Amino acid sequence: MSAEDLPQKEVNVLKGHEGGVLAARFNADGNYCLSCGKDRTIRLWNPHRGIHIKTYKSHGREVRDVHVTSDNSKLCSCGGDRQIFYWDVATGRVIRKFRGHDGEVNGVKFNEYSSVIVSAGYDQSLRAWDCRSHSTEPIQIIDTFADSVMSVCLTKTEIIGGSVDGTVRTFDIRIGREISDSLGQPVNCISMSNDGNCVLAGCLDSTVRLLDRSTGELLQEYRGHTNKSYKLDCCLTNTDAHVAGGSEDGFVYFWDLVDASVVSKFRAHSSVVTSVSYHPKENCMLTSSVDGTIRVWKT
Amino acid sequence: MDSDLEDFVFYGTPIEREEDSTSRKKKAIAESAGQLRTLPAWKQEVRDDEGRRRFHGAFTGGFSAGYYNTVGSKEGWAPQTFKSSRKSRAEFKEQSILNFLDEDEKADLEGQFLGTSSQFDTFGFTAAEIARNQAEKEQKQRPSVIPGPAPDELVIPATESIGVKLLLKMGWSRGRSIKDSHADSLYDARRQARRAFLAFSSNDTKVKVSESEPTQDDNENFPEQPVDDNVQSSKSTPVYVLNPKQDLYGLGFDPYKHAPEFREKKRSRLSSKTGSGHSKNFSTRDSLFGFKSGKAAPGFGIGALEELDAEDEDVYATGYEFEETYVQEEVEEPAKLTLENQKKKDQKDKDNLPGFRVASNSDYKMERFEAPRIPKDFVPRHAFSGPLEINRQNYEVPPSDVPPPEDSNLKLLIEGVANLVAKCGKLYEDLSREKNRSNPLFNFLSGGTGHDYYARKLWEAQQKSNDQTRVQLDGKMPPCVQKLTAESRGQILGEKPLQKTSEPSSSVSSTDIQLQYNLIDTFTKSASFSDLSEFEKPFKADPAKQERFEQFIKEKYKGGLRSGSSSLAGNMSEDARAQERLSFEAAAEAIEKRKQGRGSKLSIPSSTDFITGGVMEFTTGAVEPTKDQPDVDFKGKKMYPKREEFQWRPSPLLCKRFDLIDPYMGKPAPAPRIRSKIDSLIFTSDSVKGTKVEEHMIAMKDISPLQQSANKDINKSMAENETEEEVKVEVENVERPVDLYKAIFSDDSDDEGEDPYIKKVENQEKKAEVANTALSRLIAGDFLESLGKELGVEVPPDTPYPTQKSGKDATNANEYAKPDTSNGENNSVVSLKHDLSHDQHIAHEGGHSKGDISYGNKLEIHSIKTKGTSISDNKSSKSNGEKSEDDRKVKSPLVSNQGYISSSEDERSRKRTSKYNREKYEYRKTKTPSTDRLDYRSSSLSEDERSRKRSRHHRHRRRDTGSDSSSDDERDRHNSRSKGRRREKSSREKSSGSKKHSKHHKHRKHESPSRSSHYSMEKDDAHSRKEKRRRE
Repeated sequence: MSAEDLPQKEVNVLKGHEGGVLAARFNADGNYCLSCGKDRTIRLWNPHRGIHIKTYKSHGREVRDVHVTSDNSKLCSCGGDRQIFYWDVATGRVIRKFRGHDGEVNGVKFNEYSSVIVSAGYDQSLRAWDCRSHSTEPIQIIDTFADSVMSVCLTKTEIIGGSVDGTVRTFDIRIGREISDSLGQPVNCISMSNDGNCVLAGCLDSTVRLLDRSTGELLQEYRGHTNKSYKLDCCLTNTDAHVAGGSEDGFVYFWDLVDASVVSKFRAHSSVVTSVSYHPKENCMLTSSVDGTIRVWKT
Repeated sequence: MDSDLEDFVFYGTPIEREEDSTSRKKKAIAESAGQLRTLPAWKQEVRDDEGRRRFHGAFTGGFSAGYYNTVGSKEGWAPQTFKSSRKSRAEFKEQSILNFLDEDEKADLEGQFLGTSSQFDTFGFTAAEIARNQAEKEQKQRPSVIPGPAPDELVIPATESIGVKLLLKMGWSRGRSIKDSHADSLYDARRQARRAFLAFSSNDTKVKVSESEPTQDDNENFPEQPVDDNVQSSKSTPVYVLNPKQDLYGLGFDPYKHAPEFREKKRSRLSSKTGSGHSKNFSTRDSLFGFKSGKAAPGFGIGALEELDAEDEDVYATGYEFEETYVQEEVEEPAKLTLENQKKKDQKDKDNLPGFRVASNSDYKMERFEAPRIPKDFVPRHAFSGPLEINRQNYEVPPSDVPPPEDSNLKLLIEGVANLVAKCGKLYEDLSREKNRSNPLFNFLSGGTGHDYYARKLWEAQQKSNDQTRVQLDGKMPPCVQKLTAESRGQILGEKPLQKTSEPSSSVSSTDIQLQYNLIDTFTKSASFSDLSEFEKPFKADPAKQERFEQFIKEKYKGGLRSGSSSLAGNMSEDARAQERLSFEAAAEAIEKRKQGRGSKLSIPSSTDFITGGVMEFTTGAVEPTKDQPDVDFKGKKMYPKREEFQWRPSPLLCKRFDLIDPYMGKPAPAPRIRSKIDSLIFTSDSVKGTKVEEHMIAMKDISPLQQSANKDINKSMAENETEEEVKVEVENVERPVDLYKAIFSDDSDDEGEDPYIKKVENQEKKAEVANTALSRLIAGDFLESLGKELGVEVPPDTPYPTQKSGKDATNANEYAKPDTSNGENNSVVSLKHDLSHDQHIAHEGGHSKGDISYGNKLEIHSIKTKGTSISDNKSSKSNGEKSEDDRKVKSPLVSNQGYISSSEDERSRKRTSKYNREKYEYRKTKTPSTDRLDYRSSSLSEDERSRKRSRHHRHRRRDTGSDSSSDDERDRHNSRSKGRRREKSSREKSSGSKKHSKHHKHRKHESPSRSSHYSMEKDDAHSRKEKRRRE
């Protein structure tokens, strides 16, 4: 994929959030997207047609992260109210609320079977919540982090968390090991490569780092953007050929995965780009910003 | 009835008949004569001359049918309602005339039926009838498992009809259809029509396909005709295969439905059992037909209304029937005669005409020979008279060194024999002893002159060979070996090779008991090298290099995962590193050799020479350390990313939800996660945290020397201010919890952490204080106990040995022998291992090595004696005494710091431990915003105050995690010991609860010298102890 194929053409602007949008995420098949923001709502969109479908209101404070199951039936969200909400997509009702984090919750993810929600909290812990039973107690609390956990990723067998203490910790359930990769810089956001072999870690020193998961090796560092105080997302493109990331100056950057050169950068928003999300199959990208818009980009 | 007879009056004379009929006759007479008249009409019954009831139901006439001329039964009238449900369907009985006939009537009818004689039974009806009768009769004789009459389908006429016979005579064979031209023409017409239809509906190509398809059936294709006939016939005339049901499966169930090969196999096995050639022959035929008939079965894709004819079948047929029959025949042979089979098959393939097959029993026969007869007294296992390997346990205590005998010849002989024996095993010794019994030269074998020397030599030789093998094992693994041997793989996987150590003291027990969950256990070096570095410091002159060397040694003998880049030598150039590595290798080898030399003391002088030479040689390599002083930036950059690995226990439910197998399944309960709870319990002032974090972050940035920040100076000054500020705030915030701590722990810490020497001195003046605090302690103890219960605190490790106590302390001491207990892995390993293995050998060791091993405990007890009455001491002594039980609970604070075996939470232990890289530790701690409050606070206190605080803090943490590493203990002890020196001052400070906010920010690192001196002292201590043990 060459640089021309990168999504740089604005297709749709999704407006509706009042206040900043903190995260925008494609669903599993990329047909819909979810966004959440400071207006305490979660919104469901069709980004390809630019239609707002539904609004989910229940959070008491800003919503920081949202994730949808692979069958599109359930949502989970978290935010400043220290709770994790488990939603039914169709009815828009909250099925369950999980309380237990002692601080704001920065990230949530479903596991593969949508049976567990893993949340990353400011209280330096990862917590796993059971969606199957009616228990609202966490199944497991992982509190080996030394600082706020900013982001969480799940594979079939592992829980990966990135923390401000500078570590990316992989908890392998199969063998019962914790592997801690210390980067030395606060980790803002982690995201998995599509082949599952690498982890992209956005650090607060305006650097995105690519780690090899099996060895813990630092494969590449991507610089050029500014990321010093906001929680910004970064992700790999669907082909794993480029790294996409937002910047605090409203730009979106594309780096070449291998040689870390800035392939492309363009001004996407007037303010901080909080989140970037790449379509799982097509060349399509979502960006969200503090300016309250979500933009859909295609080639 | 007979009793009724008396009432009746008899007329006439009864005519005598057969015996059996008399009663009936009498009855009939009676009824007919007297009773009939007396009875009411509905009771009268018509009887025949023998007294039997003649008319039933309708025959008795009108309404009188049924029960005594009523309808229904005795119980009343119950109409037979129609019932049918899904489970029980309504029965439709087929009625025949026979159902309504009595037995005698049936007997009368017997033989009167018209039937074809078997000779002219064209359609086999009579035969079927006879067979059915036969079957019924048989069934009556021996009721089968399946209830009910035998279904007609099972009963098959055994005779052939005359038609069949005629057909057979005309050349028809079984299984063929009687085909007439009419059918064919009809079929052709239909096919034509279909083709036309297809052509009409689709394009040409398809037609071609469909055309090519049925060519097989074309009439013009004569060669293939018989095949078609064969196929067709299989269903046109049913071929009944008389296949007796010999298995126990349900009717119609065919276990080999999809695997006919197995059926054949089974059958052949059966037939081979009976051993008759006929049955074999039969089975082939059967299989052939069975196969054929199975062919028509899969009829999917064929319209339901369509007739099943040849064309339809061909759609799914492979078209190579003959081949398949070959396969069948082949399988029929037992599999063991593969060679024979092969031959046969070849023959078949070569010269088998279609339609023919090879005779199943050929003239050729394999010649077989009887197996040789085994004598009755033969034992299939050979046992050596002596043990092949000399029991090493025997030589746990090496035989004393004996001067060689004067006779040099004898000496040579002895040495030679010893070497041989060491190589070949004890058997050789026995043999040679046997052989040379008469030879006076070999007297030493059986306890004569020179026996002692022989024993010694033998032992030495064994040591040597052992060492060699071990060296082969261990030394084979230079760090950059590419080839993955079994050993290296094992090492990578963390398997421990079976150790053949010369000192079986520790290794034996540790290898015996090996829990799986302390896999890291195996990542430690083999026991023989565990104490290597304590006496081996070839780079003493250059501490940095020495450190690297230690790291290298550790990695070399540790196996397992390498810590990727050597963080220590990160700043060195590539070739400098390589050079250093070489020198390290050489040094390690030298050390190893020296160790061997140690095993056999004779060679010590030479090896030490070598070592000194070696050291000289190595120190030449110490040119580059000038570069060693790292500029912080570079190092900081190189350090990351840094990978560490810890144990982590996923909860079973999590595993379940992730659909994974719990790796800790069946393992003892995990260390409860109390930390968070206690945190939330004690750090109630959590809400303040949020605002603090940034400050912490910045503050810690400049505290840690490793971290590089661009605007260092600004930051620094800022941070200074901030930390100061924040310290104040923090102090206010955390003050309360700390006080609580004090109330709970303060005196315990004194008790526990106190060096007894000092304690003794201070006892007098302390008494009053102790008495005061005793009460509060009691309360605190209770509180803790309840707290522990509430939180369900349990301690994972089992401590089955009553000698635990001394063992613990000794392990603490041993801790120092370890060259580097820097990372958490090591630590937990050590403690785990100690728990398992060291208990034993320490237990017996405790006898001779006096105070220094169990100094902690003994002295404590000692001090208790001096103290006498104080409650706290009673308590501590109690806890000491009952340690084995108390160990499992985190009930009392005293026990809690006596050393729990660290369990899974390496992370914690890592945080806590590492006296050697305290730097790192500090760094880590400063990073965490919430947990380091105490640290920050303590940094603001006076130094000794702080050290005490820290120890307390550690303890608190330990309690939190419910785990412990013994090294931590030891540190605590040191801390408190050093603290104790300054105690006069500090205790006062503490008791008054004063908080001096003197700024000891920079001071932190300066305290290390005093502490390190302690360490070195301890190390020497441990070292000497080790030495002692080795000598023993």
